[in-house]
Amino acid sequence: MTMTINDSTYTTETAKTKRRLYMELENCIGCRSCLAACTQCGGHEQRNRNYVYDVNPLVNRQTMPLMCLHCVDPACARSCPAQAIQIHETGAVLSALVEKCIGCQNCTIACPYGIPKFDEEENLMYKCDLCIDRTKDDIPPMCASVCPSNTLQWLTEEEIAEKQNRHDLDNEKWVTSMPYLEGETNVKVNLPGILQGTVKLF
Amino acid sequence: MEQVTSKQPINGSNKKHQNNINNAFASHYAKSMFIAISGLAILTFIGTRMFTHVDLNLYGYMVGTIVFLGGFFYRFIAWGERPPTKIMIKKGIKLLFRKSTPKTSVDHLATYKFIWNRGIYRWTQHVMIGWGCLLACAVTFPLVFSWMYFTMEENGMYTIVLFGMDLMVVPADGAIAFLSYNALNISAIMVIIGVCMALYRRLKNMQARAEQQLFYDFLPLYLLLFISITGLLLTVINVFLHGKGHYVMSLIHQFSVIVTLIYLPFGKLAHIPFRPLSVFARNYREHYGEKEMKECKVCGTEFVSTEQSNDVINVLGTNNIEFNMNDGFNLAELCLPCRRKYRIARFSGSPTHQVPVKEANQNAKG
Ligand code: SF4
Ligand code: SF4
Repeated sequence: MTMTINDSTYTTETAKTKRRLYMELENCIGCRSCLAACTQCGGHEQRNRNYVYDVNPLVNRQTMPLMCLHCVDPACARSCPAQAIQIHETGAVLSALVEKCIGCQNCTIACPYGIPKFDEEENLMYKCDLCIDRTKDDIPPMCASVCPSNTLQWLTEEEIAEKQNRHDLDNEKWVTSMPYLEGETNVKVNLPGILQGTVKLF
Repeated sequence: MEQVTSKQPINGSNKKHQNNINNAFASHYAKSMFIAISGLAILTFIGTRMFTHVDLNLYGYMVGTIVFLGGFFYRFIAWGERPPTKIMIKKGIKLLFRKSTPKTSVDHLATYKFIWNRGIYRWTQHVMIGWGCLLACAVTFPLVFSWMYFTMEENGMYTIVLFGMDLMVVPADGAIAFLSYNALNISAIMVIIGVCMALYRRLKNMQARAEQQLFYDFLPLYLLLFISITGLLLTVINVFLHGKGHYVMSLIHQFSVIVTLIYLPFGKLAHIPFRPLSVFARNYREHYGEKEMKECKVCGTEFVSTEQSNDVINVLGTNNIEFNMNDGFNLAELCLPCRRKYRIARFSGSPTHQVPVKEANQNAKG
Protein backbone atom coordinates (compact mmCIF):
# COMPACT_ATOMS: atom_id res chain seq x y z
CA MET A 1 0.00 0.00 0.00
CA THR A 2 1.52 3.34 -0.96
CA MET A 3 0.50 6.54 0.66
CA THR A 4 1.91 9.61 2.25
CA ILE A 5 1.30 10.34 5.84
CA ASN A 6 1.73 13.80 7.23
CA ASP A 7 1.76 12.84 10.82
CA SER A 8 5.39 12.26 11.72
CA THR A 9 4.63 9.97 14.65
CA TYR A 10 3.50 7.31 12.23
CA THR A 11 6.52 7.25 9.96
CA THR A 12 8.60 4.93 12.08
CA GLU A 13 9.56 1.49 10.89
CA THR A 14 7.24 -0.34 13.30
CA ALA A 15 4.27 1.68 12.15
CA LYS A 16 4.80 0.21 8.69
CA THR A 17 5.19 -3.38 9.84
CA LYS A 18 3.35 -3.84 13.12
CA ARG A 19 -0.18 -5.00 12.42
CA ARG A 20 -3.16 -4.86 14.70
CA LEU A 21 -6.70 -6.08 14.72
CA TYR A 22 -8.90 -3.17 13.71
CA MET A 23 -12.70 -3.15 13.96
CA GLU A 24 -15.15 -0.98 12.06
CA LEU A 25 -18.19 -1.81 14.10
CA GLU A 26 -21.09 -0.69 11.97
CA ASN A 27 -19.97 -2.73 8.94
CA CYS A 28 -21.09 -5.90 10.72
CA ILE A 29 -23.84 -7.81 8.88
CA GLY A 30 -24.30 -10.45 11.59
CA CYS A 31 -23.18 -13.43 9.51
CA ARG A 32 -21.18 -14.88 12.45
CA SER A 33 -18.38 -16.06 10.19
CA CYS A 34 -15.93 -14.83 12.81
CA LEU A 35 -17.47 -17.14 15.42
CA ALA A 36 -17.25 -20.12 13.08
CA ALA A 37 -13.68 -19.29 12.09
CA CYS A 38 -12.67 -18.94 15.73
CA THR A 39 -13.66 -22.54 16.44
CA GLN A 40 -11.13 -23.70 13.83
CA CYS A 41 -8.09 -21.95 15.26
CA GLY A 42 -5.25 -24.09 16.61
CA GLY A 43 -5.82 -24.95 20.25
CA HIS A 44 -9.38 -23.64 20.38
CA GLU A 45 -10.82 -27.16 20.38
CA GLN A 46 -13.88 -26.32 18.32
CA ARG A 47 -15.18 -23.64 20.65
CA ASN A 48 -15.41 -19.98 19.71
CA ARG A 49 -14.18 -17.28 22.02
CA ASN A 50 -15.77 -14.19 20.47
CA TYR A 51 -19.26 -12.70 20.37
CA VAL A 52 -21.71 -11.02 17.99
CA TYR A 53 -24.50 -8.92 19.49
CA ASP A 54 -27.77 -7.48 18.24
CA VAL A 55 -27.50 -3.82 19.05
CA ASN A 56 -31.20 -3.10 19.46
CA PRO A 57 -32.92 -6.40 18.73
CA LEU A 58 -36.54 -5.24 19.00
CA VAL A 59 -36.01 -2.27 16.70
CA ASN A 60 -33.50 -3.05 13.95
CA ARG A 61 -31.10 -5.66 12.59
CA GLN A 62 -27.80 -3.95 13.34
CA THR A 63 -25.21 -6.26 14.87
CA MET A 64 -21.71 -5.71 16.24
CA PRO A 65 -18.89 -8.09 17.10
CA LEU A 66 -17.20 -8.09 20.47
CA MET A 67 -13.98 -9.83 21.33
CA CYS A 68 -11.04 -9.48 23.64
CA LEU A 69 -9.47 -6.09 22.99
CA HIS A 70 -6.08 -7.14 24.37
CA CYS A 71 -5.73 -4.43 26.96
CA VAL A 72 -2.31 -2.88 27.49
CA ASP A 73 -2.85 -3.28 31.24
CA PRO A 74 -5.16 -6.31 31.27
CA ALA A 75 -7.49 -6.60 34.26
CA CYS A 76 -7.88 -10.32 33.66
CA ALA A 77 -4.15 -11.01 34.10
CA ARG A 78 -3.91 -8.60 37.02
CA SER A 79 -6.60 -10.44 38.93
CA CYS A 80 -5.33 -13.97 38.26
CA PRO A 81 -3.84 -15.53 41.41
CA ALA A 82 -2.04 -18.24 39.43
CA GLN A 83 -0.36 -16.02 36.84
CA ALA A 84 -2.01 -18.25 34.27
CA ILE A 85 -2.69 -15.42 31.80
CA GLN A 86 0.50 -14.50 30.00
CA ILE A 87 1.12 -11.50 27.79
CA HIS A 88 2.87 -12.28 24.53
CA GLU A 89 5.63 -10.02 23.22
CA THR A 90 3.26 -8.87 20.47
CA GLY A 91 0.94 -7.51 23.15
CA ALA A 92 -1.64 -10.30 22.78
CA VAL A 93 -3.13 -11.36 26.11
CA LEU A 94 -3.10 -15.15 25.97
CA SER A 95 -5.62 -17.72 27.14
CA ALA A 96 -4.99 -19.43 30.49
CA LEU A 97 -2.12 -21.88 30.60
CA VAL A 98 -3.86 -25.19 31.22
CA GLU A 99 -1.51 -26.39 33.93
CA LYS A 100 -1.57 -23.13 35.83
CA CYS A 101 -5.24 -22.10 35.85
CA ILE A 102 -6.74 -23.05 39.21
CA GLY A 103 -10.30 -22.31 38.16
CA CYS A 104 -11.10 -19.40 40.47
CA GLN A 105 -12.82 -17.33 37.73
CA ASN A 106 -11.42 -14.04 38.98
CA CYS A 107 -10.56 -13.14 35.40
CA THR A 108 -14.16 -13.43 34.23
CA ILE A 109 -15.23 -11.02 36.97
CA ALA A 110 -12.34 -8.63 36.34
CA CYS A 111 -12.55 -8.21 32.56
CA PRO A 112 -14.45 -4.95 31.88
CA TYR A 113 -15.98 -6.43 28.71
CA GLY A 114 -16.95 -9.87 30.03
CA ILE A 115 -14.74 -11.75 27.58
CA PRO A 116 -13.14 -14.80 29.29
CA LYS A 117 -15.24 -17.96 29.20
CA PHE A 118 -15.10 -20.69 31.80
CA ASP A 119 -15.51 -24.43 31.42
CA GLU A 120 -16.87 -25.86 34.69
CA GLU A 121 -16.20 -29.48 33.72
CA GLU A 122 -12.59 -28.91 32.78
CA ASN A 123 -12.13 -26.32 35.54
CA LEU A 124 -10.42 -24.09 33.02
CA MET A 125 -10.73 -20.57 31.66
CA TYR A 126 -10.36 -19.95 27.93
CA LYS A 127 -10.33 -16.68 26.04
CA CYS A 128 -9.32 -15.08 22.75
CA ASP A 129 -5.56 -15.41 22.25
CA LEU A 130 -5.59 -13.40 19.01
CA CYS A 131 -4.74 -16.70 17.28
CA ILE A 132 -1.22 -16.27 18.55
CA ASP A 133 0.28 -19.04 16.44
CA ARG A 134 -0.88 -17.05 13.39
CA THR A 135 -0.46 -13.45 14.49
CA LYS A 136 3.04 -13.97 15.87
CA ASP A 137 4.02 -14.62 12.24
CA ASP A 138 1.90 -11.72 11.01
CA ILE A 139 -0.84 -13.95 9.62
CA PRO A 140 -4.23 -12.35 10.39
CA PRO A 141 -6.31 -13.95 13.16
CA MET A 142 -9.05 -16.33 12.00
CA CYS A 143 -11.88 -13.84 12.55
CA ALA A 144 -10.25 -11.10 10.47
CA SER A 145 -9.34 -13.63 7.75
CA VAL A 146 -12.95 -14.53 7.11
CA CYS A 147 -14.94 -11.38 7.86
CA PRO A 148 -16.75 -10.62 4.58
CA SER A 149 -17.78 -7.08 5.46
CA ASN A 150 -14.44 -5.61 6.51
CA THR A 151 -15.65 -5.21 10.06
CA LEU A 152 -12.55 -7.03 11.25
CA GLN A 153 -9.30 -6.14 9.54
CA TRP A 154 -5.62 -6.79 10.13
CA LEU A 155 -3.85 -3.50 9.43
CA THR A 156 -0.52 -1.81 10.01
CA GLU A 157 -0.47 1.15 12.32
CA GLU A 158 0.15 3.28 9.27
CA GLU A 159 -3.02 2.04 7.63
CA ILE A 160 -4.97 2.62 10.80
CA ALA A 161 -3.59 6.16 10.95
CA GLU A 162 -4.73 6.72 7.41
CA LYS A 163 -8.22 5.54 8.36
CA GLN A 164 -8.12 8.02 11.17
CA ASN A 165 -7.22 10.84 8.79
CA ARG A 166 -10.07 9.88 6.52
CA HIS A 167 -12.65 9.70 9.29
CA ASP A 168 -11.33 12.38 11.58
CA LEU A 169 -13.99 14.99 12.05
CA ASP A 170 -12.07 16.95 14.60
CA ASN A 171 -14.76 16.28 17.17
CA GLU A 172 -12.60 13.91 19.22
CA LYS A 173 -14.96 11.10 18.44
CA TRP A 174 -12.66 9.04 16.32
CA VAL A 175 -12.01 5.50 17.38
CA THR A 176 -10.35 3.48 19.94
CA SER A 177 -9.74 3.54 23.59
CA MET A 178 -10.77 6.46 25.66
CA PRO A 179 -13.41 7.47 26.44
CA TYR A 180 -15.41 4.58 24.99
CA LEU A 181 -13.14 1.90 26.42
CA GLU A 182 -11.80 1.45 29.91
CA GLY A 183 -8.14 1.65 29.04
CA GLU A 184 -5.54 1.56 26.27
CA THR A 185 -6.02 -1.51 24.09
CA ASN A 186 -3.98 -3.27 21.40
CA VAL A 187 -7.05 -3.84 19.26
CA LYS A 188 -8.28 -0.62 17.69
CA VAL A 189 -11.97 0.11 17.44
CA ASN A 190 -13.60 2.56 15.06
CA LEU A 191 -16.83 3.70 16.61
CA PRO A 192 -19.95 3.70 14.45
CA GLY A 193 -20.60 6.69 12.24
CA ILE A 194 -23.70 7.64 14.23
CA LEU A 195 -21.55 8.42 17.22
CA GLN A 196 -19.08 10.33 15.12
CA GLY A 197 -21.82 12.44 13.66
CA THR A 198 -21.47 11.09 10.14
CA VAL A 199 -22.93 8.46 7.85
CA LYS A 200 -20.39 6.45 5.91
CA LEU A 201 -20.65 5.99 2.17
CA PHE A 202 -19.82 2.50 1.03
CA MET B 1 -12.27 8.07 31.67
CA GLU B 2 -15.22 8.35 33.95
CA GLN B 3 -14.55 7.86 37.60
CA VAL B 4 -17.69 8.29 39.54
CA THR B 5 -17.84 8.39 43.29
CA SER B 6 -17.01 4.94 44.40
CA LYS B 7 -19.49 2.88 46.33
CA GLN B 8 -16.96 0.15 46.99
CA PRO B 9 -13.91 0.35 49.19
CA ILE B 10 -11.65 0.45 46.17
CA ASN B 11 -8.34 2.03 46.90
CA GLY B 12 -6.76 -0.50 49.24
CA SER B 13 -3.45 0.05 50.92
CA ASN B 14 -1.12 0.45 48.02
CA LYS B 15 1.68 2.25 49.78
CA LYS B 16 1.76 0.13 52.88
CA HIS B 17 1.77 -2.90 50.70
CA GLN B 18 4.86 -1.79 48.80
CA ASN B 19 6.78 -1.37 52.02
CA ASN B 20 5.75 -4.80 53.12
CA ILE B 21 7.19 -6.42 50.05
CA ASN B 22 10.54 -4.77 50.40
CA ASN B 23 11.03 -5.55 54.05
CA ALA B 24 9.42 -8.91 54.02
CA PHE B 25 11.05 -10.41 51.01
CA ALA B 26 14.53 -11.07 52.32
CA SER B 27 13.39 -12.10 55.76
CA HIS B 28 10.55 -14.30 54.53
CA TYR B 29 12.92 -16.01 52.20
CA ALA B 30 15.59 -16.56 54.83
CA LYS B 31 13.01 -17.76 57.31
CA SER B 32 11.41 -20.31 54.99
CA MET B 33 14.80 -21.58 53.85
CA PHE B 34 15.99 -21.88 57.43
CA ILE B 35 12.90 -23.74 58.62
CA ALA B 36 12.94 -26.13 55.68
CA ILE B 37 16.61 -27.01 55.95
CA SER B 38 16.42 -27.40 59.72
CA GLY B 39 13.41 -29.65 59.24
CA LEU B 40 15.29 -31.78 56.73
CA ALA B 41 18.30 -32.00 59.03
CA ILE B 42 16.23 -33.02 62.04
CA LEU B 43 14.34 -35.66 60.08
CA THR B 44 17.61 -36.97 58.72
CA PHE B 45 19.14 -36.99 62.17
CA ILE B 46 16.27 -39.07 63.53
CA GLY B 47 16.01 -41.20 60.40
CA THR B 48 19.67 -42.15 60.36
CA ARG B 49 19.76 -43.04 64.04
CA MET B 50 21.95 -40.03 64.72
CA PHE B 51 23.78 -40.08 61.39
CA THR B 52 24.97 -43.67 61.73
CA HIS B 53 23.27 -44.84 58.54
CA VAL B 54 24.07 -42.14 55.96
CA ASP B 55 24.34 -43.37 52.39
CA LEU B 56 27.02 -41.12 50.94
CA ASN B 57 26.39 -42.30 47.38
CA LEU B 58 23.28 -40.21 47.51
CA TYR B 59 25.04 -37.03 48.57
CA GLY B 60 24.47 -35.34 45.17
CA TYR B 61 20.73 -35.58 45.61
CA MET B 62 20.94 -33.80 48.93
CA VAL B 63 22.66 -30.83 47.35
CA GLY B 64 20.11 -30.93 44.52
CA THR B 65 17.22 -30.88 46.98
CA ILE B 66 18.59 -27.90 48.83
CA VAL B 67 19.13 -25.95 45.61
CA PHE B 68 15.59 -26.86 44.64
CA LEU B 69 14.25 -25.52 47.94
CA GLY B 70 16.09 -22.25 47.31
CA GLY B 71 14.49 -21.84 43.89
CA PHE B 72 11.11 -22.95 45.13
CA PHE B 73 10.90 -20.47 48.00
CA TYR B 74 12.15 -17.72 45.76
CA ARG B 75 9.33 -18.37 43.30
CA PHE B 76 6.72 -19.04 45.92
CA ILE B 77 7.32 -15.88 47.91
CA ALA B 78 7.47 -13.62 44.86
CA TRP B 79 4.24 -15.20 43.70
CA GLY B 80 2.48 -15.13 47.06
CA GLU B 81 3.05 -11.38 47.35
CA ARG B 82 0.81 -10.61 44.36
CA PRO B 83 -2.47 -9.19 45.69
CA PRO B 84 -4.84 -11.77 44.14
CA THR B 85 -2.64 -14.68 45.19
CA LYS B 86 -2.35 -13.35 48.71
CA ILE B 87 -6.13 -13.19 49.08
CA MET B 88 -6.60 -16.68 47.67
CA ILE B 89 -3.96 -18.17 49.99
CA LYS B 90 -5.23 -16.36 53.07
CA LYS B 91 -8.88 -17.23 52.57
CA GLY B 92 -7.98 -20.70 51.33
CA ILE B 93 -6.17 -21.53 54.56
CA LYS B 94 -9.11 -20.22 56.55
CA LEU B 95 -11.49 -22.47 54.63
CA LEU B 96 -9.23 -25.51 54.63
CA PHE B 97 -11.43 -27.49 56.98
CA ARG B 98 -14.59 -27.50 54.90
CA LYS B 99 -16.36 -30.83 54.70
CA SER B 100 -15.77 -31.06 50.97
CA THR B 101 -11.99 -30.53 51.17
CA PRO B 102 -10.98 -34.21 51.10
CA LYS B 103 -13.18 -34.94 48.10
CA THR B 104 -12.04 -31.86 46.20
CA SER B 105 -8.42 -32.68 46.96
CA VAL B 106 -8.77 -36.21 45.66
CA ASP B 107 -10.55 -35.00 42.51
CA HIS B 108 -8.01 -32.29 41.82
CA LEU B 109 -4.75 -33.77 43.03
CA ALA B 110 -5.06 -37.54 42.84
CA THR B 111 -7.58 -38.64 40.22
CA TYR B 112 -7.37 -35.52 38.04
CA LYS B 113 -11.09 -35.59 37.25
CA PHE B 114 -10.93 -32.25 35.42
CA ILE B 115 -8.28 -33.64 33.07
CA TRP B 116 -10.50 -36.64 32.40
CA ASN B 117 -13.03 -34.11 31.17
CA ARG B 118 -10.41 -32.64 28.87
CA GLY B 119 -9.89 -36.02 27.20
CA ILE B 120 -9.00 -39.60 28.05
CA TYR B 121 -5.70 -39.52 26.20
CA ARG B 122 -4.53 -36.50 28.15
CA TRP B 123 -5.74 -38.03 31.36
CA THR B 124 -3.88 -41.32 30.83
CA GLN B 125 -0.74 -39.43 29.95
CA HIS B 126 -1.05 -37.23 33.02
CA VAL B 127 -1.73 -40.11 35.39
CA MET B 128 1.29 -41.98 34.06
CA ILE B 129 3.63 -39.02 34.44
CA GLY B 130 2.09 -37.65 37.63
CA TRP B 131 1.86 -40.85 39.59
CA GLY B 132 5.14 -42.13 38.18
CA CYS B 133 6.89 -39.03 39.51
CA LEU B 134 5.08 -39.12 42.85
CA LEU B 135 5.95 -42.77 43.37
CA ALA B 136 9.58 -42.16 42.45
CA CYS B 137 9.82 -39.20 44.83
CA ALA B 138 8.13 -41.14 47.61
CA VAL B 139 10.81 -43.80 47.32
CA THR B 140 13.85 -41.71 46.46
CA PHE B 141 13.71 -38.91 49.00
CA PRO B 142 13.35 -41.07 52.08
CA LEU B 143 16.31 -43.08 50.81
CA VAL B 144 18.37 -39.96 50.08
CA PHE B 145 17.90 -38.50 53.50
CA SER B 146 18.13 -41.94 55.00
CA TRP B 147 14.65 -41.68 56.45
CA MET B 148 14.11 -45.19 55.12
CA TYR B 149 16.51 -48.01 54.45
CA PHE B 150 16.70 -51.79 54.37
CA THR B 151 18.76 -54.02 56.61
CA MET B 152 19.18 -57.76 56.55
CA GLU B 153 19.55 -58.99 60.09
CA GLU B 154 18.75 -62.62 59.54
CA ASN B 155 19.31 -64.37 56.28
CA GLY B 156 16.51 -64.16 53.75
CA MET B 157 14.57 -61.54 55.68
CA TYR B 158 14.72 -57.80 55.05
CA THR B 159 13.84 -55.28 57.72
CA ILE B 160 12.39 -52.02 56.39
CA VAL B 161 13.44 -49.19 58.68
CA LEU B 162 11.45 -45.96 58.58
CA PHE B 163 12.62 -43.00 60.67
CA GLY B 164 14.79 -45.26 62.75
CA MET B 165 11.91 -47.60 63.62
CA ASP B 166 11.67 -51.12 62.33
CA LEU B 167 8.58 -50.91 60.16
CA MET B 168 8.28 -54.52 59.09
CA VAL B 169 10.23 -57.63 58.33
CA VAL B 170 9.64 -59.15 54.91
CA PRO B 171 11.04 -62.18 53.13
CA ALA B 172 13.67 -61.12 50.60
CA ASP B 173 11.98 -62.96 47.77
CA GLY B 174 8.41 -62.01 48.71
CA ALA B 175 6.01 -59.72 46.91
CA ILE B 176 6.48 -56.66 49.13
CA ALA B 177 10.22 -56.83 48.82
CA PHE B 178 9.92 -57.27 45.06
CA LEU B 179 7.66 -54.23 44.77
CA SER B 180 9.95 -52.21 47.02
CA TYR B 181 13.09 -52.67 45.06
CA ASN B 182 11.30 -52.48 41.77
CA ALA B 183 9.28 -49.41 42.70
CA LEU B 184 11.69 -47.15 40.87
CA ASN B 185 11.65 -49.37 37.78
CA ILE B 186 7.88 -49.35 37.76
CA SER B 187 7.72 -45.60 38.14
CA ALA B 188 10.34 -45.17 35.40
CA ILE B 189 8.26 -47.23 33.00
CA MET B 190 5.14 -45.26 33.89
CA VAL B 191 6.91 -41.96 33.25
CA ILE B 192 8.37 -43.21 29.97
CA ILE B 193 4.93 -44.27 28.73
CA GLY B 194 3.41 -40.94 29.77
CA VAL B 195 6.17 -38.84 28.25
CA CYS B 196 6.05 -40.79 25.00
CA MET B 197 2.30 -40.22 24.81
CA ALA B 198 2.85 -36.50 25.40
CA LEU B 199 5.60 -36.28 22.79
CA TYR B 200 3.53 -38.25 20.30
CA ARG B 201 0.59 -35.89 20.73
CA ARG B 202 2.81 -32.85 20.31
CA LEU B 203 4.49 -34.14 17.17
CA LYS B 204 1.49 -35.71 15.45
CA ASN B 205 -1.19 -33.20 16.24
CA MET B 206 -0.58 -30.04 14.21
CA GLN B 207 -2.78 -28.03 16.52
CA ALA B 208 -0.81 -29.04 19.57
CA ARG B 209 2.45 -28.49 17.74
CA ALA B 210 1.67 -24.88 16.96
CA GLU B 211 1.45 -23.98 20.62
CA GLN B 212 4.65 -25.59 21.81
CA GLN B 213 7.79 -23.87 22.95
CA LEU B 214 11.09 -25.68 23.36
CA PHE B 215 12.04 -24.52 26.82
CA TYR B 216 8.61 -24.40 28.32
CA ASP B 217 6.95 -27.48 26.85
CA PHE B 218 9.58 -29.87 25.56
CA LEU B 219 12.44 -29.45 28.01
CA PRO B 220 10.55 -30.85 31.02
CA LEU B 221 9.49 -33.88 28.96
CA TYR B 222 13.04 -34.54 27.82
CA LEU B 223 14.31 -34.14 31.38
CA LEU B 224 11.81 -36.68 32.71
CA LEU B 225 12.72 -39.05 29.90
CA PHE B 226 16.41 -38.59 30.67
CA ILE B 227 15.89 -39.41 34.33
CA SER B 228 13.73 -42.46 33.67
CA ILE B 229 15.97 -43.97 31.02
CA THR B 230 19.20 -43.54 32.99
CA GLY B 231 17.40 -44.94 36.03
CA LEU B 232 16.24 -48.00 34.12
CA LEU B 233 19.72 -48.46 32.66
CA LEU B 234 21.06 -48.73 36.20
CA THR B 235 18.84 -51.75 36.71
CA VAL B 236 19.84 -53.19 33.35
CA ILE B 237 23.51 -52.80 34.25
CA ASN B 238 23.02 -54.51 37.57
CA VAL B 239 21.00 -57.40 36.24
CA PHE B 240 22.62 -58.12 32.88
CA LEU B 241 26.10 -56.61 33.00
CA HIS B 242 26.94 -57.56 36.56
CA GLY B 243 27.30 -53.93 37.55
CA LYS B 244 29.82 -52.96 34.87
CA GLY B 245 29.74 -49.18 34.40
CA HIS B 246 27.35 -48.81 37.29
CA TYR B 247 29.31 -45.98 38.86
CA VAL B 248 29.39 -43.82 35.72
CA MET B 249 25.72 -44.43 35.01
CA SER B 250 24.74 -43.59 38.56
CA LEU B 251 26.59 -40.30 38.23
CA ILE B 252 24.75 -39.52 34.99
CA HIS B 253 21.48 -40.41 36.65
CA GLN B 254 22.22 -38.19 39.63
CA PHE B 255 23.12 -35.39 37.26
CA SER B 256 19.77 -35.73 35.45
CA VAL B 257 17.84 -35.59 38.70
CA ILE B 258 19.74 -32.57 39.98
CA VAL B 259 19.24 -30.61 36.74
CA THR B 260 15.52 -31.36 36.87
CA LEU B 261 15.25 -30.30 40.49
CA ILE B 262 16.92 -27.01 39.67
CA TYR B 263 14.65 -26.45 36.66
CA LEU B 264 11.49 -27.47 38.47
CA PRO B 265 10.44 -24.23 40.20
CA PHE B 266 10.77 -22.22 36.99
CA GLY B 267 9.27 -24.16 34.12
CA LYS B 268 6.15 -26.06 33.35
CA LEU B 269 6.76 -28.51 36.21
CA ALA B 270 6.32 -25.65 38.66
CA HIS B 271 2.61 -26.41 38.60
CA ILE B 272 3.28 -29.47 40.77
CA PRO B 273 4.03 -27.60 44.01
CA PHE B 274 1.56 -24.78 43.21
CA ARG B 275 -1.38 -26.90 42.16
CA PRO B 276 -2.95 -27.43 45.63
CA LEU B 277 -4.17 -23.85 45.30
CA SER B 278 -6.93 -25.14 43.05
CA VAL B 279 -8.47 -26.74 46.14
CA PHE B 280 -8.34 -23.35 47.86
CA ALA B 281 -10.02 -21.76 44.87
CA ARG B 282 -12.83 -24.32 44.85
CA ASN B 283 -13.43 -23.93 48.59
CA TYR B 284 -13.43 -20.17 48.21
CA ARG B 285 -16.06 -20.24 45.51
CA GLU B 286 -18.23 -22.78 47.30
CA HIS B 287 -18.07 -21.21 50.74
CA TYR B 288 -18.75 -17.62 49.76
CA GLY B 289 -21.26 -18.75 47.13
CA GLU B 290 -23.34 -20.37 49.87
CA LYS B 291 -23.00 -17.29 52.04
CA GLU B 292 -24.20 -14.59 49.68
CA MET B 293 -24.54 -14.27 45.94
CA LYS B 294 -24.22 -11.05 44.02
CA GLU B 295 -27.11 -10.03 41.83
CA CYS B 296 -26.35 -8.48 38.47
CA LYS B 297 -27.08 -4.75 38.69
CA VAL B 298 -28.90 -4.87 35.35
CA CYS B 299 -30.80 -8.16 35.07
CA GLY B 300 -30.72 -9.43 38.66
CA THR B 301 -29.19 -12.83 37.89
CA GLU B 302 -27.01 -14.19 40.68
CA PHE B 303 -23.68 -14.73 38.98
CA VAL B 304 -20.86 -14.74 41.57
CA SER B 305 -20.39 -14.53 45.33
CA THR B 306 -20.47 -11.03 46.79
CA GLU B 307 -17.14 -11.75 48.45
CA GLN B 308 -15.41 -12.54 45.16
CA SER B 309 -16.89 -9.56 43.39
CA ASN B 310 -15.56 -7.28 46.14
CA ASP B 311 -12.20 -9.03 46.23
CA VAL B 312 -11.72 -8.58 42.50
CA ILE B 313 -12.68 -4.91 42.71
CA ASN B 314 -10.15 -4.45 45.52
CA VAL B 315 -7.38 -6.31 43.75
CA LEU B 316 -7.86 -4.20 40.63
CA GLY B 317 -7.86 -1.16 42.91
CA THR B 318 -4.38 -2.00 44.20
CA ASN B 319 -3.30 -1.97 40.55
CA ASN B 320 -4.99 1.38 39.97
CA ILE B 321 -7.65 -0.10 37.73
CA GLU B 322 -11.17 1.12 38.47
CA PHE B 323 -14.29 0.32 36.51
CA ASN B 324 -16.93 2.50 38.15
CA MET B 325 -19.44 3.63 35.55
CA ASN B 326 -21.48 6.80 35.27
CA ASP B 327 -24.55 4.60 35.35
CA GLY B 328 -23.88 3.89 39.01
CA PHE B 329 -22.25 0.47 39.06
CA ASN B 330 -18.88 -1.14 38.89
CA LEU B 331 -18.41 -3.39 35.88
CA ALA B 332 -17.62 -6.30 38.20
CA GLU B 333 -21.23 -6.03 39.41
CA LEU B 334 -22.74 -6.95 36.04
CA CYS B 335 -23.21 -10.54 34.94
CA LEU B 336 -21.13 -11.45 31.90
CA PRO B 337 -23.82 -11.16 29.19
CA CYS B 338 -24.97 -7.82 30.60
CA ARG B 339 -21.39 -6.59 30.77
CA ARG B 340 -20.89 -7.42 27.10
CA LYS B 341 -24.19 -5.81 26.12
CA TYR B 342 -23.29 -2.76 28.15
CA ARG B 343 -20.13 -2.39 26.07
CA ILE B 344 -22.13 -2.68 22.86
CA ALA B 345 -24.36 0.03 24.28
CA ARG B 346 -21.32 2.25 24.86
CA PHE B 347 -20.19 1.62 21.28
CA SER B 348 -23.53 2.20 19.63
CA GLY B 349 -25.34 4.68 21.81
CA SER B 350 -28.46 2.51 22.05
CA PRO B 351 -29.05 0.88 25.45
CA THR B 352 -28.53 -2.74 24.41
CA HIS B 353 -28.16 -3.96 28.00
CA GLN B 354 -31.61 -2.60 28.88
CA VAL B 355 -33.38 -4.60 26.17
CA PRO B 356 -34.73 -7.75 27.83
CA VAL B 357 -33.78 -10.11 25.02
CA LYS B 358 -31.44 -13.03 25.55
CA GLU B 359 -28.15 -12.86 23.66
CA ALA B 360 -28.67 -14.62 20.34
CA ASN B 361 -26.61 -17.49 18.94
CA GLN B 362 -23.17 -17.06 20.43
CA ASN B 363 -21.75 -20.48 19.68
CA ALA B 364 -21.38 -20.64 15.92
CA LYS B 365 -23.84 -23.50 15.62
CA GLY B 366 -25.84 -22.19 12.63
S1 SF4 C 1 -10.53 -7.34 27.11
FE1 SF4 C 1 -10.81 -8.54 29.01
S2 SF4 C 1 -9.99 -10.53 28.49
FE2 SF4 C 1 -9.19 -9.12 26.96
S3 SF4 C 1 -7.22 -8.43 27.78
FE3 SF4 C 1 -8.75 -6.93 28.43
S4 SF4 C 1 -9.35 -7.65 30.46
FE4 SF4 C 1 -8.33 -9.38 29.48
S1 SF4 D 1 -9.89 -18.84 36.35
FE1 SF4 D 1 -7.79 -19.46 35.86
S2 SF4 D 1 -7.05 -17.87 34.46
FE2 SF4 D 1 -8.88 -17.05 35.47
S3 SF4 D 1 -8.12 -15.90 37.21
FE3 SF4 D 1 -8.58 -17.96 37.96
S4 SF4 D 1 -6.66 -19.09 37.76
FE4 SF4 D 1 -6.45 -17.25 36.52
